[in-house]
Amino acid sequence: MRTLDWVVLVGSLIAIVSYGLYKSRGAATVNNYLLADKTMPWWAMALSIMATQVSAVTFISTTGQSYVDGMRFVQFYFGLPVAMVILSATAVPIFHRAGVYTSYEYLEKRFDSKTRALASVIFLIERGVGVGIALYAPAIVLAVIFGWPDQVTTFIMGALVIFYTVLGGIQAVTWTDVQQMLIIFFGMLVAVVMVIVLLPGDVSLMDALFVAGKASKLTAVDLKFDLNNRYNVWSGLIGGAFLALAYFGCDQSQVQRYLTGKSITQSKLSLLFNAVAKVPMQFFILFVGAMVFVFFIFERPPLLFEAPAMRKLETVSAYPAVQSRFERAFQSRRDAAGSLIAAHRASDPQKEVTSIADFRAAQKDLDSVRREAGAMVDKDFDDTNYIFLSYVTKYLPAGIVGLVIAVIFAAAMSTISGEINSLATVTVIDIYKRHLHHGGSDRHYLMASRLATAFWGLYAVVFAQFGRNLGSLIEAINRLGSLFYGSLLGVFTLAFFFPRVGGTGAFIGMIAGEAAIFAAFLFTGMSFLWYNVIGCVVVVCTGLLFPRMEK
Amino acid sequence: MTPIPPDNEPPPFLGTWRRVYAAVLIYLACVIVAFYIFTRIFA
Repeated sequence: MRTLDWVVLVGSLIAIVSYGLYKSRGAATVNNYLLADKTMPWWAMALSIMATQVSAVTFISTTGQSYVDGMRFVQFYFGLPVAMVILSATAVPIFHRAGVYTSYEYLEKRFDSKTRALASVIFLIERGVGVGIALYAPAIVLAVIFGWPDQVTTFIMGALVIFYTVLGGIQAVTWTDVQQMLIIFFGMLVAVVMVIVLLPGDVSLMDALFVAGKASKLTAVDLKFDLNNRYNVWSGLIGGAFLALAYFGCDQSQVQRYLTGKSITQSKLSLLFNAVAKVPMQFFILFVGAMVFVFFIFERPPLLFEAPAMRKLETVSAYPAVQSRFERAFQSRRDAAGSLIAAHRASDPQKEVTSIADFRAAQKDLDSVRREAGAMVDKDFDDTNYIFLSYVTKYLPAGIVGLVIAVIFAAAMSTISGEINSLATVTVIDIYKRHLHHGGSDRHYLMASRLATAFWGLYAVVFAQFGRNLGSLIEAINRLGSLFYGSLLGVFTLAFFFPRVGGTGAFIGMIAGEAAIFAAFLFTGMSFLWYNVIGCVVVVCTGLLFPRMEK
Repeated sequence: MTPIPPDNEPPPFLGTWRRVYAAVLIYLACVIVAFYIFTRIFA
């Protein structure tokens, strides 16, 4: 980090936090603090919804995911536009007309208090863990830049976000999200341009695409249906749609965004904007990761991308031998890539086939050496989340590094603040006000909301300490969500479409749905995207068995 | 209880919500086809 980078980074953070504090002045009632008095225009909600989803994890982990596994992860988002359409036609008008603070409040109107309480608790568990992971991701940034331990950096980041969110409220969160999303769009554009500009002079963009394609990094669509294949077009369209339905329809961190809308139309437009923008945006982020892979074909990467782990490795006696093997494998891969490009330019298919085989053999060696080196540091070592940061901090010019780091911070802050805000809302509205303290004053619940926000921020800090061993964070978050979302989606499906099912059916259905999901998780190897489908179907089918038990 | 916002209105473009939803789904189909072509070209 050079002076200009610090100026850009600190300037952006001060501007964002100051703006949040400035907006927090008006939050004098619970309705304003939690729902912004329903005054938000669609474009602010749309950018806020997007900013809440686009966490630091998106940049840090998605690019690393693409580097390691290619672009097939984009299929995960194919179901999102389908879900947005369904929710715009169903959930948005229902929630708005119900006049609720939380989606779970609606469940009591439709079923009963125990169903609302169970759904609220499931949300609090799931999102509470998720916010911890979201907080851990930006701590990685600080760990790479300063070499500080993750524990210290999660505490620093957590304190900053808690301070700004407690004073903020939904209105401040939404308006800062808008600013943060604009920074994110600009930063992404710069990242895409820079990764192409920094390719070696004799490697054109088309060469880079060709090599990345041969390395299976550009496989964005896989049409083969396979339940055990995590990402294909079918798991994305069906499983991804169910996950997005659950996330946007049942997760308060999203529902709360579009409940702040001036009208049903404004809320619908905010979701449909996401339907159109999200898939291309993820494609470009994954594309950056694939191009970083090509960049490191020609520029020697570190043996391990995580600097502290690399320093630890250097103290191991076997390190020189491993480093030497790594350098030989890197050289072989670079030579094979060079001859592959030459063969392609000369239209020599025979040489292309040989070069591809050489390239893949060298890649296999490289992966094997990296695995071995990682195991010397930690048996569960995984540096996927450090790849993009390693590239950014070492190769991008002054000012741009600060901008990219600011983007990651902006993304982190928007996600964490939104999630903490929604956790506080559910805690106060669905648990505290409903079950523990009836009839308090508005001022009392406003204070309770601020305290709950601080509590969840601290909880996130503590849980973030476990982020290190979760591998790819983007997958960890989605896998975790899938363990809970299916049953939430199922109960809302019952609420919207099965009027004969009552509270007992919904409650038992949710328990059965969770049991089915955990059975699938523990005893099958199926992709986590299908958990949402299984959970939802089991809840609905079980709920339908109990229609007559209701009065 | 929060104030209930104005009831549903027509979308600002394409006339009806049904057409807007159809446009979004057609757009999705086009994106998937484009990504598939991208995959086929470079795989």
